[in-house]
Amino acid sequence: MTPTVAFIGIGTNLGDRAANVERAVDALRSLGTIARRSSLYRTQPWGKRGQPWFLNAVIALETALTPEALLPQLKQIEARMGRTANERWGPRVIDLDLLLYGDLTIETPELHVPHPHLRDRAFVLVPLSEIDGRFDALRDALPRAELAGVVRVERESALTMLEERPLSAGDRVRALARFLDDSDAIRVRIARGDEEIELAANSRSMAPAAGRNDHGYGTETPAARVDTIKADLVGIFHLSRPVALEGEIFNADRELGYIEALGIRTPVHSMGAGRLVSMQTPDGSPVEYGQPLFLVARGR
Amino acid sequence: MGRRWSTDNPSFSWREGANIFTKVLIANRGEIALRINRACQELGVATVAIFSEADRDSLHVRQADESFCVGPGPAARSYLNIPNIISTALVTNCDAVHPGYGFLAENARFAEICNDHGLGFIGPKPSVIALMGDKATAKRVVREAGVATTPGSEVLSSIEEAYEVAESIGYPLLLKATAGGGGRGMRVVADAGDLPRAYAGATAEAEASFKDGRVYLERLIREPRHVEVQVLGDEFGNIVHLGERDCSVQKPAHQKLIEETPAPNLPAHIRGKLHEMALRASKYVGYTNAGTIEFLVSGGDAYFMEMNTRIQVEHPVTEMVYNVDLVKEQIRVAAGEPLGYEQGDLHSRGHAIECRINAEDPRNNFAPAAGAVSKLVFPGGPGIRVDTHLYAGATIPPYYDSMLAKIVAFGDTRDVAIARMERALRETLVEGVSTTIALCLEILATDAFRHGRYDVEFLANEILCVR
Repeated sequence: MTPTVAFIGIGTNLGDRAANVERAVDALRSLGTIARRSSLYRTQPWGKRGQPWFLNAVIALETALTPEALLPQLKQIEARMGRTANERWGPRVIDLDLLLYGDLTIETPELHVPHPHLRDRAFVLVPLSEIDGRFDALRDALPRAELAGVVRVERESALTMLEERPLSAGDRVRALARFLDDSDAIRVRIARGDEEIELAANSRSMAPAAGRNDHGYGTETPAARVDTIKADLVGIFHLSRPVALEGEIFNADRELGYIEALGIRTPVHSMGAGRLVSMQTPDGSPVEYGQPLFLVARGR
Repeated sequence: MGRRWSTDNPSFSWREGANIFTKVLIANRGEIALRINRACQELGVATVAIFSEADRDSLHVRQADESFCVGPGPAARSYLNIPNIISTALVTNCDAVHPGYGFLAENARFAEICNDHGLGFIGPKPSVIALMGDKATAKRVVREAGVATTPGSEVLSSIEEAYEVAESIGYPLLLKATAGGGGRGMRVVADAGDLPRAYAGATAEAEASFKDGRVYLERLIREPRHVEVQVLGDEFGNIVHLGERDCSVQKPAHQKLIEETPAPNLPAHIRGKLHEMALRASKYVGYTNAGTIEFLVSGGDAYFMEMNTRIQVEHPVTEMVYNVDLVKEQIRVAAGEPLGYEQGDLHSRGHAIECRINAEDPRNNFAPAAGAVSKLVFPGGPGIRVDTHLYAGATIPPYYDSMLAKIVAFGDTRDVAIARMERALRETLVEGVSTTIALCLEILATDAFRHGRYDVEFLANEILCVR
């Protein structure tokens, strides 16, 4: 069978999102050749509050697999990545959607190609039109407000750039710092082999971390420490009222949520002052020991 | 119930219409967690694995339908963390818990807590676990049932009483601490002249080790064999035995290394007596589910030692010769199913041997080894079964039992089983940690093992001391 170009949508809103996309792309390489790849886009989820934002991308995959063969492979990658991260409730670690398969239209109980929501999802059409101009018109037909909710987080893919050019560690940190500064990403982590770089940006709403320069890059990108507040017992996780909103600053320790287990509520605290960067686990989910619940940025 | 049980099916396989548990939490790790997961999968029962942070990449986590981290590496905070384990079972809507062996398997309180939370405990009733868990009580109870126990005394109050009791039991004797374990507070008393020093030593050591200096006397059984009988009971009072296992190849500190069934060179009347005593003791305490009664056999005598109220590590040898799945049977009877067969329906065929492959160094007092397994090849072919959680690249955490795999060989005769085991061990390759493979091969090659003439002292006296 001659290879056909399939477009695959990637979405993630849990854990280390950029790394999730990278892992998914790596896994997709086993199914064909990656012909084109969009930038990463940050999307605010509609509807439900308290859900972390998504990172979305689209890739064009040249593949010899039939659509019937491709779909279970995608599901398998999802399952594998979901399982490794041990987070199976609420938001997914990774979502892979078969958007288009050549110019085929398929309607079976399992398979709907083109993807039924292709036309009304900005987070699909924006990255899709970036790598294939045929979809510009569809994209432009979407309401402006929806398009505004999808923000490109990289001018040129910082991740790709780092992959392609051998850079010194210092260059890498500087490139990442620039990338952070230019985007509205809060935290970026790149792990390759033994090496891992993690940078976090200070939000405008936080007091500037004056002159701190631990990382050897320019003072124009001050870094905040981001703590992960984790579950220390197994139970059902709930948000405490009033519910903390992402971005909320607390000047003292605050109860952010609680875990209910065997009829006992154990509060989850912010562990001091800080800013709530994101919620990692939806209200009402079962949580395991060590499961990330909140990211809290610390000032100064 | 909508299940049909068929005694004409030799493999006791499960028929359509099963309506047992819907989801089982496996409160264990390693090979036994996989073993339980397999039984559940075949029964169409969903599984929830628990794991510690050190076992995140473990095979049992991968193969279960769901998995939950319950704590950090040390077992006390994870695999023994009762609140987190119960909470996991509840938030994942399990209806039963299988404890495996070790960890919480013989913890009566845990079984009770499971029941209190509406969770089935796949094992005997909590009261029976408690009864048999206390060694002194267990002996008293089985004596009531007419089962022989090692002749011995009650707790001794003075050296004078010790002299008196010693005369009535007869030398040689063993002085043991009531709170004892691991050989501490234990002394051999060859004759009356030995008694004062042994009494003082055992009492002092017991006091120092267990803060309980009470000791008692027991007849020393010379060159005993460790032979145990597998039993299985349902909740309707039906109970059967599935033959015996000889577990006399033991490392120092009574840790089993090689087990086989049937026990070689065991006179038929002794074999029959063991089976009969095991059934009698189990019926007397109202035993349900799978259990094992351990005996010391010396000459024509057999004495009850203790009962293990759980599935045993060495259960596969029994499964091989009886063509039965003991873990499935555990799940079935725990769900309230009747056994559906009687003693007369059970027949064993052939011979099975198990070798335990442990990550430890036999040359260095069996010091446990932790680390990464770089290369791994397991044996296959006719008559070989491997139960393991190991895979190439796996890291062996330092927190747990050092057993990596159980290799089981089946043959129509004992000779065939031994030959298969030898070639299977030679096929096996575990690189990165030291193992007991070479030691097992060495044992299999001895005349004592080949002729089935070995006792619990054999490994220490004839192999380890001459190395």
